[in-house]
Amino acid sequence: MEENQSKSTEQPPESRFQVSRSTLLVDLWMGRIIRLGGISVVIAVFGMLIFLVSQIFPLFSKAKVEPLTPVNFTEASSVAWGEDEYGELPFSCDAKGNISFRKAADGLLVKTWAPDFKAMPSTTDGQTAPATLIPVTAVKTYSRDGLVLLGLADGSVRELKISYKITFAKNGSRELEPSVDLQYAGKLSELSGPVLEAWSVKGTEGRLYLSRQQKDGHDVITGRRLIERKGLGGKAKVTASEPFPIAADVTDLERVLVPSTADSILVIRKTGEVRVYQNNENTFSLLQSFKPFGDAKNPQIAAAGFIFGNVSVVFQGNQNEEVVWSLYPQKQADGQMLRRWGKIHDCETLAGVGQGVFPAAGNKCYLSVAGGRMQIRNMTNGSIRWEESAPSTPIQQVVFSRNYNRLSILCQDGKVYRWAITDHHPEASWNTFFGKIWYEGAEGPAYTWQSSSGSDEFEAKYSLVPLIYGTVKGTFYALLFAIPIALLAAIYVSHFLRPEWKNVIKPLMEIMASLPSVVLGFLAGLWLAPLVDTHLIPILCVIVVLAPSALFAGYIWSKLPQPVRRRVGPGWEFAYLFPFIVLCMYGAWQLGPTIESSFFTVKDLASGQNISDFREWWRQSTGLNYDARNSLVVGFVMGFAVIPIVFTIAEDALSNVPNSLISGSLALGASRWQTVWTVVVPTAVSGILSAIMIGFGRAVGETMIVVMATGNTAVMEANPFNGMRTLSANIAVELPEAAAGETHFRALFLGACCLFALTFIVNTFAETLRQRLRERYKIN
Amino acid sequence: MASSSSDNSTPKGEPWVWFTSLGLIIGLSMVAGLLGLVLINGFSVFWAPQVPTVKLKDGTEIVGQFVQRRVRSNSPASDPRYERQYQIGLRELNNTSYVWVDELNITDEKFTLETLGLERMENGPAFITPKLIVDSSGKQHLADATTFAIIRTEVDQATDIRERVLDINQNKIGVVNSEMEATRIALRRAEDRQEPTVELTDKIKSLDLKFAELKKQAEEISKPTAQAHLEGVDAKGRSVTIPFAQIVRAWEPNRMTTMDRFGLLFSRIGEFLFDAPREANTEGGLMPAIFGTLVMTVFMSLLVTPVGVIAAIYLKEYAKDGAVLRVVRICVNNLAGVPSIVFGVFGLGFFVYVLGGTIDHLFFSDQLKYNNNTPVFGTGGLLWCSLTLALMTLPVVIVATEEALSAVPRGMREASLAAGASKWQTIRDILLPASAPGILTGVILAMARGAGEVAPLMIVGVVKLAPTLPIDGLAPFLHLDRKFMHLGFHIYDLGFQSPDSDAARPMVFATTLLLIILVVCLNLGAITIRNRLRARFKGAAF
Repeated sequence: MEENQSKSTEQPPESRFQVSRSTLLVDLWMGRIIRLGGISVVIAVFGMLIFLVSQIFPLFSKAKVEPLTPVNFTEASSVAWGEDEYGELPFSCDAKGNISFRKAADGLLVKTWAPDFKAMPSTTDGQTAPATLIPVTAVKTYSRDGLVLLGLADGSVRELKISYKITFAKNGSRELEPSVDLQYAGKLSELSGPVLEAWSVKGTEGRLYLSRQQKDGHDVITGRRLIERKGLGGKAKVTASEPFPIAADVTDLERVLVPSTADSILVIRKTGEVRVYQNNENTFSLLQSFKPFGDAKNPQIAAAGFIFGNVSVVFQGNQNEEVVWSLYPQKQADGQMLRRWGKIHDCETLAGVGQGVFPAAGNKCYLSVAGGRMQIRNMTNGSIRWEESAPSTPIQQVVFSRNYNRLSILCQDGKVYRWAITDHHPEASWNTFFGKIWYEGAEGPAYTWQSSSGSDEFEAKYSLVPLIYGTVKGTFYALLFAIPIALLAAIYVSHFLRPEWKNVIKPLMEIMASLPSVVLGFLAGLWLAPLVDTHLIPILCVIVVLAPSALFAGYIWSKLPQPVRRRVGPGWEFAYLFPFIVLCMYGAWQLGPTIESSFFTVKDLASGQNISDFREWWRQSTGLNYDARNSLVVGFVMGFAVIPIVFTIAEDALSNVPNSLISGSLALGASRWQTVWTVVVPTAVSGILSAIMIGFGRAVGETMIVVMATGNTAVMEANPFNGMRTLSANIAVELPEAAAGETHFRALFLGACCLFALTFIVNTFAETLRQRLRERYKIN
Repeated sequence: MASSSSDNSTPKGEPWVWFTSLGLIIGLSMVAGLLGLVLINGFSVFWAPQVPTVKLKDGTEIVGQFVQRRVRSNSPASDPRYERQYQIGLRELNNTSYVWVDELNITDEKFTLETLGLERMENGPAFITPKLIVDSSGKQHLADATTFAIIRTEVDQATDIRERVLDINQNKIGVVNSEMEATRIALRRAEDRQEPTVELTDKIKSLDLKFAELKKQAEEISKPTAQAHLEGVDAKGRSVTIPFAQIVRAWEPNRMTTMDRFGLLFSRIGEFLFDAPREANTEGGLMPAIFGTLVMTVFMSLLVTPVGVIAAIYLKEYAKDGAVLRVVRICVNNLAGVPSIVFGVFGLGFFVYVLGGTIDHLFFSDQLKYNNNTPVFGTGGLLWCSLTLALMTLPVVIVATEEALSAVPRGMREASLAAGASKWQTIRDILLPASAPGILTGVILAMARGAGEVAPLMIVGVVKLAPTLPIDGLAPFLHLDRKFMHLGFHIYDLGFQSPDSDAARPMVFATTLLLIILVVCLNLGAITIRNRLRARFKGAAF
């Protein structure tokens, strides 16, 4: 029979068991597509991290400085140097005042200019003597302003304006045509001796000219100010002040430093003393004198230079010393705060005698030369941007281009060395973002975030520390409020509440978690903050009264006779507690004003009357600020965002504790609280910890609530009644205005990276904890 | 005796149990309180209460809608004094729409039947006593209890005309404007390349003509009612003349029935949902913001769903189990915990500047060159917002899909394979259909999160007032490069950047209500689907 049947039914054809080619192909290709898709998603996720890091990388890189092809500027006698904006057609001046323009690319001579300043024809004896040329005795260039200042043998100065006419050729190439125009000619002093050195600075009140001449073997400095007054019709009227002597009391003068603001003059003596003369109605009077290296064996100053911004000077000593002195408010003996010079930085030094300090034209960097090496440094954060061995001959002049992309060094043998600088973020260093920095004008080193201001010479301050502090502060208050509530609720819901309620409570909590944070922030800022402002004490009373009243209710209930207790089924406690709590809260609210008037009464400074106002009391008794949008408000509202997350995860962990443990404990006679407290909670503690950590992650990154509910001031104060600025809020507020690729932009990226790293690490840790817990109790 | 005492003793630690229930009470009260606060404040924006005439101590009167009551800022805590805020409107006369009045200053409050409430296109509402009505045919009516019907017809007529004018201004003139813009760019390019420009200049001329014609047409339409107006006196006795063309809505707050009030409520809600904002977003509707949020969210979910599902299938079905996979899974999970603002930063840095910059460079270099370097994709816009949020919600979808795939009973999978189905066939025909509700839950949760998120959008392309919608009748219909309005950002901008915070407040509450309803509905949907799914697979262990 069996045989029969097997024979009768025909063997199905071989192909019956074969999968069709198309099915196989589709399967193969879908497998490939899904693999490709999946892997690329994973890569994209990691790519995001890499991209963020790649954006902050340039912040920590040093300057790239490459020598430009050396061009032979043959005059060995060059003593001064200047450049146009593009560095294409620089000019050099020799000691006689001849100016020659040469192409930077090939050294081709384009134009020369020779001084021909003739003395007034003297008409003695009725004869007109032929005009004689007055030789040039001093040359100085101001490359940034395109000025050449010549001092003449007869004691007068000539100021020349170098300007370039730009024309574009048909093929788009740029042609520069230089011109030299006399801008000012005049005598600065009564003395007729040759001018040995001259300065010209454009101050706020008008251009100031200074000259150094010799009289009886002493250096004499005289100044003269041109004051421009806009007359009617827009015509400017220039009046020159009378010449005035400066630092007439100084004997062994070594060097004079003139800031471009022209409001003060620093005179350095051979003894190492620096005397500061301040502008005082067209004369300069002594403000302060100090010795930067007063403690050293050899207090002489080897080199010095003003840093861009004109409030700081770098001094180099003879014995590996380099310090920065700056003007900042200092407390005087009489208690007044006055701006005086003081040391703000001790710099790392190159070994050897200081050979020069040359500031950059647009930022706080300078070239420091000492002991045969030279470095570009940032004055503010002390970072060394670049280092190289210095030219063998002493340096005559250093010209940084205005946008800090070129450096030209003119040596005393007339040789010129030029470099191209690529340094997009000279103000950035590890120290800038995380260190305490003494900024110019500040009273001491501090952590400051201040990214923008109206002024041009403002130095942006990018310390992330106050932001991190603000983030931690906001998170702390949020967790302080959220964790007890969330954990209590989780314990109650997981082990005491009637199970059928759970299906209502958990979705409710999920909805709470999904409330948009902009809504929470809006309510915090516009509804809660004003309420807290006027009713702080009642609200605090309500918060304080909550825990004791619940415990008290429980205690009373446990003392009630059993028949009464039986009425309250297990799992219904919250329903009975609710009205009692509301009652207690109402009582506390009503008590608030009484407490405020009996404990927090102060004298109002404005009216002189006694008022009971906690805000005023807080200000007067602690000296701290009271802000309506403060950390308490933020903490409370961020609780809305944190509570549901912590609750959900902790509740999961608590209810996943194996039943066998609970039953065992109950069977041994432990009460339900004892079981929960001594068995369940210790077992689930890692889950609870991970819940807290994930809550922390959420609070750290919360943006809109903080933006809207705090004042967003980057202060570092633990004061709970003050606002703060967090990393995330800072990004949200400032990133739309930051220009791509700038230091500010990248600093914000750095903040984002900090946030990313912080949350990622905390979350990974929490996740690992949770997985360990799961494996331990074999919960799916 | 001993036994009875042990019977009567309570188990140890009962007070602590009560204590833990406090956590639940606070949590629930917080949710309920917040939702209640938003509901009451949100709906009261649309409600038209009676409008009192308030007599003050100095004999003056104000007519205005009561807004709120608060403790005076310098009053002692033990004996608080209150002040009330009224919306008196008529900003062109009063300089402000809202006034605070010390309660001690109020001597009398009565509800005058004649008081007429007017919502206007400009300068906020007005509460006046009507005196004279000049209708569109030029006829004059002395105001009395019966003339409100005339006012109403006139307002309806004015509204109708306004809508027709708006249609011309927005749609027809919009088309002309965008054509003009394109032609100007083409002209600049032609000039630059020294190509003939005659055609283009002719086109510009004809467009100018068309523009003028449309303007004229709009004027023609609004002519018949130009002289229709309403005259009345305000609380201070000043006479006020308001043209009907300015009036959006008129009601008699102290004479209308409750039914009328509900009618007004629905009419206001309708305007709120379907009209464009006016008066610096503080009045009018929210249609562009609702539309923008919707388009962005839908576009985001279209992006995130396939990618997330493919990634989840790969992780669950194809990737080899091991340490690498565990690390990847943890990373993906943790991505959900990364602050949203970080995604915004990434979106700006990568999508906008790198991707958008490259797209502009490759495809829109002409546009850049001849349109004052105005970037097309190299600035924030709909596409970048959607992409950023898609990246942000990607882990939500991946995790949900993975969970849904794991929930499919083993038996189903094995049965399919045993029946000879290939792996892909099993995935397509068994796993995906079975886990569809779970995936849907994940997508809905992602949408809820995307709809409520603001911080990253602020950086990558949401604006407070967009002149155009991201979808319209102009080719290519969906404008991915356009900036758009968003409900969440609207709340932030109105609540915190608005110059007149009192005037903005009602609108913020209404917007908040709408956003919360949207998000809660999405969440409830997700929860319902998930619960059904759970019930379906409960016994399906095979």
